This record gives sequence, structure tokens and C-alpha cells, in this order.
Amino acid sequence: MRSITPAAARRALLAVSEPSTSRAAAAIPRRAGPILDSKRVAGPQLVRRTAAVRTYATTAPGPSSCGTALPAIPAEDTFDIVIIGGANAGLALACALLSKPSIRETSRILLLEGGSLDRVRSWTGEDRWENRVSSLTAENVAWLDSIGAWKHIAQHRSCPVEEMIIWANPSPDSSPTVHFPPLGHPMAHMTENTNLQRALLRRIDEINPGSFEIRESSRVAEMQLGPGGRWVGLRIGDRWVRGSVVVGADGPNSPVRQFSAIDSYGHGYNTQAVVATLHHDEDIYPNNTAFQRFLPTGPLAFLPLSPTASTMVWSTHPTHAAAYKKLSPEALVTVVNAGYSLPESTLAALNEHIISSDTPLSAEQINTLLAQLPLPEIREQATLPSVVKTIESVASFPLKLTHADSYLGDRTVLVGDAAHTVHPLAGQGLNMGLADVRCLANVWEECRRTGADLGSRTSMAPYPRERYPANQLLLNTTDTLHHVFRSRSGPVNWVRGLGLDMINEISPLKRILMSGAGAGAGGGKRDAVGREFGPSTADQVGRGQAGGWPGKVASGLEGWLSFKSAAGMAAGMAGQAIAGRLRDFAQTRGK
Amino acid sequence: MRIAASNIAGPSRLRSAVVAARSTSFASSASSGLATTPPPSSFSTINDLEISHFSRLASEWWSETGEFALLHRMNPPRIEYMRQLIAFDPRFESPWSFAARHSDKAREKANGVGRWLTGKRVLDVGCGGGLLSEALARLGGDVIGVDASGVNIGMAVAHARVGSLEYRHTSAEALRDAGEQFDVVCAMEVVEHVDEPGEFMKALGDMVKPGGYLIMSTISRTPLSRLLTLTMAEDVLRLVTPGTHTYTKYIKPEEIRRFVHSEMGGYDVWEKEEDAGDVRTDEVGRTRGIVYDPLGGKWRLWGSGVEGGWGKGLGEGCNYMYGAKKRVDAAK
Repeated sequence: MRSITPAAARRALLAVSEPSTSRAAAAIPRRAGPILDSKRVAGPQLVRRTAAVRTYATTAPGPSSCGTALPAIPAEDTFDIVIIGGANAGLALACALLSKPSIRETSRILLLEGGSLDRVRSWTGEDRWENRVSSLTAENVAWLDSIGAWKHIAQHRSCPVEEMIIWANPSPDSSPTVHFPPLGHPMAHMTENTNLQRALLRRIDEINPGSFEIRESSRVAEMQLGPGGRWVGLRIGDRWVRGSVVVGADGPNSPVRQFSAIDSYGHGYNTQAVVATLHHDEDIYPNNTAFQRFLPTGPLAFLPLSPTASTMVWSTHPTHAAAYKKLSPEALVTVVNAGYSLPESTLAALNEHIISSDTPLSAEQINTLLAQLPLPEIREQATLPSVVKTIESVASFPLKLTHADSYLGDRTVLVGDAAHTVHPLAGQGLNMGLADVRCLANVWEECRRTGADLGSRTSMAPYPRERYPANQLLLNTTDTLHHVFRSRSGPVNWVRGLGLDMINEISPLKRILMSGAGAGAGGGKRDAVGREFGPSTADQVGRGQAGGWPGKVASGLEGWLSFKSAAGMAAGMAGQAIAGRLRDFAQTRGK
Repeated sequence: MRIAASNIAGPSRLRSAVVAARSTSFASSASSGLATTPPPSSFSTINDLEISHFSRLASEWWSETGEFALLHRMNPPRIEYMRQLIAFDPRFESPWSFAARHSDKAREKANGVGRWLTGKRVLDVGCGGGLLSEALARLGGDVIGVDASGVNIGMAVAHARVGSLEYRHTSAEALRDAGEQFDVVCAMEVVEHVDEPGEFMKALGDMVKPGGYLIMSTISRTPLSRLLTLTMAEDVLRLVTPGTHTYTKYIKPEEIRRFVHSEMGGYDVWEKEEDAGDVRTDEVGRTRGIVYDPLGGKWRLWGSGVEGGWGKGLGEGCNYMYGAKKRVDAAK
């Protein structure tokens, strides 16, 4: 379960190469908050000056970057919404907006993509597996279905995940395993990013009433706030287009974020994720279980793609990652199999050899080494994934956590990786992006209902209000998990083991965790597959009518009662788990 | 895009227009002779002090963080109120038919989305910088914004970029006397700023076409509204410039409803609410509270509730909306 989000950076959608954008960022003065806002209404001269300093230009500076007025932009280049970035977030937003009649019929939308989408359009689903695979949670699959995109997914290339097994075994005789059993519906779908992109493109072509346009190979060279802060002008080559609001779906190094002078904070993990496609024999069990083993160097995930193929995400030290990538495919297969099955001590010794060796070790050398290394007796055997036979498409990328300080700029808004990047251990990167997109489309639909200006901060405010805390919570959770599972100190091991035991024992807790990971198909919206998400207008009218508060009180009470019962159960289970642990402890001491 | 600024040819002309409006309020015979001048006999409810107050703040209108930030946020629920009143008006629903019985839901969904004001002539009295007018124009309305402050109108014209939108520097009375008629007449937060709210409302009511709507929003005269709008918003938090509101000018919801019944034609002109359980016989139209939710950072429409119920009264304790429908068969 993962979403290979940082890789999107490589397909940078804007012309801005990394070093030059960072220079431009340094040149942008930090915005002085609301002062600018009050200036903006003071008059066109002031505004133009403000806009000029906030311009960034990475190619040869055009005449307009010197503070002169923008050229007149014709009506065919004037749009209500300009989306920058034709990756999944950008396309999903376009698709979501087009699926809403009130937006489709009243707005002109432009999507700018720096590269070409021909590769995506011509993707047949017959080629070899790509290593850019994402886990789509059941909630997002239901939503994609509701906007009509899921039916265009190449189903034979989208693998439902029914079960999940995670474990961390610091010592061979203890392997706390959490097994998330089948829910009756898939908790996620492993889907290649290209597959989803193609589905979204097809759906867009299907419903586009002519008000939506994609311009490919259109790299934005320059952005400038129009007079009065009423629109943003974008220069593509020699041509200017303008949008009442510009959406930054342009990846982690988002030029839109830099134009908007929005800082982001976060930290690198000093970890590289090695991704690859694994081939194995067909098992007697269906290949629909996601495995994740938490090693001290980072999690190693095995995610199903088809009966004979799976994808791997191995987050590990950069030195390890570099050494693994140098290995021959046969040698790497041996190491990956070892990574799933060997005790940590043996694995650590093997890693030492791999790193310290001057020339990459061959498969035979590794096998010889493994035969020599001490293999402690394993008392408890975890369920393991299929034995890997061959490996291909090996790549790696660095992991980092970033979160933009704000999602809104002057007439700009950030979605997806432009707003946040996350550790892939929970497979939430793309899912967070899709949730952003879903929320933003709903907010704009509401704006259309009340005639609000799509690009004003007041109209867009509900979007960060809903998404910012949710994304922050997920970022924090994955960050904490990353640190908790890396640690191998005694007390942390004990508590973690206890925690995993508890999760494994308490099914309500398990369900909560899984629905938190989006696997629960969104509660009441579960039956909404194939229907439109969101309340109908009738619901809108009904909402806020009399009798609202008794309902709230009642549901609050109900919530409290179920919380009480769940807490009671949890306490009981926790007691059992602690007793069990203590018994184990006493037995080992007694030996 | 049609932006007509009939009365704002230049500053000097603006001034003379204001002067003209002022002079007529004393029914003086000295007419300036301008084409835009209201007929001499007309009466103006415009309060000069109020106009100069809002003219000073004109440059603030479109700043989303300034003086009018709360007003910016108030727009969506106001328009939602209008949407529920206009787009879901049971009077104009197509009658139930056996053949169309399956498409009820679909028709309900298609109502009030997109440009639901299309084809309606809308008047926004006291439009200020045009916050509401622009939104209404975006919804397809044929909007005329009217304000007594020339500076405000200048600000509004400078900002206008959408749909069919026209601003005029004039008064409601002048428009009424010119015989203008509208499908929707709204006056948001105006009635508490004029000199004679009764005369002002009569002027508004006269301009509503048969079958049209009169929509207002204002502030009730209660201890709660004094606390929120004067003590808190003006004096303590300084969200609004002190002097914006005058407590004694506030009007209670039932005062408006009864005024429309007793002074503006009653049920001969206005629709009587048809809801089951609505037993009022001396009131026209419905009011609905509009409250600020500081946690959500937005205004919400209070539950419509039962007229006279305590919950409804609480919601209408400060800001509220008023809406009345003119009868289709009302005499012009």
C-alpha cells in the first residue's frame, strides 16, 4: 500500500527546474499577511507593483516581469479555473468538477500539463507492470465510481486488497502480528498511477461539454497577479492565459506554492524508498493480501498486483538503498526474500556485508553468506508472502514529510502533493490528494449555488478548514508510526508489542483503524457506489430545518453509548493482553 | 458583460446627484434639472450621516479581511435563503402528474443549481461595493444595484466584471417613482440605516412585480443584538467601525411582518403562508435567523422552526432575513 508521490516531482509539470525555482523562491519577499490584502483594493498602481515583485520568472525574463502591465488577454484564453498539473490530483479535480452540472455548465476550465499525456492515452494495460503504483482506499474507489471514472479502469490491472498483515519482530521468538481479516469488500485497490490517469482522461473526454480544455506541453514560464487581484495571469511561451483561480496540482516542488509565497514545513526521513515489481509463482491462496514488515531500517511492503506479480516498497537507509540498487536482479531477489523472512539480527549482518563489499555481491555470494550466518530458532512463524522469483523496474526516491502552511494564496489553491507529502508506509499520499480534490470540488459546487466568486479566500475557506486538520492528523500519525516502528529499545518494543496485540485482539479497534485508513468505504456512503456523492438539493433544503438539534443530541448520545461500550471492551481486552504479556515474561524469566 | 454607470459620469455630477436627492427630501421645488434627479415630489429616506459614514469606508468593501469581512462571509447564507425562497417556490412547481411521477427526484435536484436566477430582474438596494449584486449577477440575474453613496457606486462599478450588472446612484424612492418593477427586490442590512423604514419598505414593496419577492435582512432590537452588534462587534472587538449601527433603528422581526400586513396591503397583495400549522392572521412573510458560528467561521441560517417558538425567537435575536411573496394576482 503506497503512493509514490515524490516521484511526481520528476515529471515536473512546469518548466521550472529545481535549482532555479529555489532561487526564485528566495527572491520572493515573504508576504506581510493581510497588509497586502488591504493594499490590493487601494488602487491598480499599487496592485501592479505588488504583483511585479511577486513574479517569478525562470526563463528569460519577459517584458511583463519588469512591472509593466500584462498584455490584454483574449476571451478564449480567459478561464474560471486553471489547473496546473496533469497527474492524478489535477485530472481527478478536472473530472470531479466536470461531473458537477452546476460547474460544468457555468465554468471554463483549463488544465495545463508540462509534458505530454500521449503515453497515458496509449497505455493499454498489456505492458509490463509499472513501479508507480498506489493503493486506492475503498472510500476513494467509491468516489471515483460515483464520478464515473472507475468504470474506465483496466480492471485486470487493479488488484483488490482483501487482507492485511503487518508485523515487527525484533527478536525471532516474538513476532507480534496484526492480521486485518477480509471485510467482505476490498479495503483498497492497488492500481498503477497510469491506469488511474488514463481512466480519468477517458471519463473527462466522455463528459466534457466543450468548456474544458487540456493544453499539453504547456510549461508555465511566469505567473502574475492581475490588476486588483482579480485573476492570475500565466505565461506559456509567448502566450498569456488567465484564470480567476489557479489550482496548484503541480507536485511537491509546486511553483504555484512558491508564487503564492506559501511556506511549507517538514523534514526528510533520511530514508530512501526502493520500489520494484516482484514476480512469483501463483500461490494456492489468492494473491490479495498486503504484507508489511517493520524493520529497524524502515518498513518493507509487499503489495499484490496480480496472481503472479506484486509490488515492493522498501523504505531503508540511503546507503542500503544505494547498495541494493547496485545488486544484480538475482542477488536483489535473494535479499528481498531474506527481508521478508529472516530475523532482524541475521538481516542486519547480511546488510553489513552488502554495504561493506566494494563490488556488488552476486546471488551465490549472498547465498553462501546466508548459509554461514547464525540463524536463530524461530518459535512463532508469521504468515509470509510468496517467494519472489524475479524482480524488475527497480527505482528509488527519498522520503520526506512536508505540509504547506496554508492551502490558499491570492487566487491560488493547493491540492495533493503540492500541499503535503507523506511517508508511504500507510499508502495515503494519493488518497489524501483525492480527498482534497473531492472536498474542493464540493466547496466550489456550493459556491456556484450561492453565486460566490470561486477564487476569493472567503469562498474557498471551507476547503482548508476541512482538509488541513485531517491531513495534519494523517501526517502526524504516519510520522509517529515511522518512529515507533524503527525503534528497537526494550520498553518501546514492549509497548509496541502490547499495542499490536491489542489491535489484533480488539476487533472494533481494528475496524476503526481500517476505516481510518479509508477501508471502511465511508460508513453511510457505502451504498453510494454508482450514485452521486454528497447530499441532493432536497437534502440541502432539508438541512437546517427544524428538529436538527434533537437529532444531533440523539446521535451524540448514541455515539457516547457506543464509545462507552467500545471503551469497556477495550479495557477488558487490554487487561487480557497485559496479563498475557506478563505471563510470557514470567515464563521467559522462569526458563 | 454590461456595466452601465448611468449616474456616475464624473465626480461633480455625483455631487449634484446627491444634492438633488437631498433637496427633494425636503420636497423643495428647487430642482437641479438633471435628468437623473428624482421627481420633485418624491420623498427620500436616505440618511446623510449614514451615507457619509459608508462613503468613508468605501475602499474597504472588497477586502476580505477588513471592515466588511463578516459581510463577505454573510453572502452565502443570504443567497441560500433567497434560493430556498425563489428556486423552491411551491407556487411555481409544475403540478404533480402521473406520467412524471418517477422524475420527481431529478426535477428536485435540477432546481436551484447553476444559474437559478436566470431571467429574473433583480434590484439590490443599498448595494454598497456590490458584494451581493455581483453574486446575484453570477447566478444569472439581471441585476441593478442601487446605492445612495456615489463613492460606493464608484467602487462597485470599478469591481464589476460579471454577467448582467448595472449600478445606479439613486434612491429606492426615485426608482419607484420612475415606475421600475422587479422580480426580486432585496435590501440587505439597509432598513436599519434609513430615516423612515416604513416609507422605505413601501417603496420596495411597490417595486415588486406580481408573483415577485421582497427580501430583506436586518438586525432585531433585543438585548442580544445590542450585546453582539454594538458592545462586542463595535466597541470591544472592533470588527466594525463604531457608529456603524444605531440601536434604536433596529427593527424586530414581528414588526416587519406586521407592518407589511397592516400598511403594505396585507393579504390582498402578499401571499399568506400556506404551511400547515401556520395560524398567523396578521402577519405577512417569514423571518429566519442568521447566526455567526465562530467555530465554523461562517454564518448559518437558523432552523426555520415554528413561528413564535422559543428556538426561532432565539435565532432571530440578532441578524435575520425577511422574505415575502407578492401574489400573482396582486394589483399593480
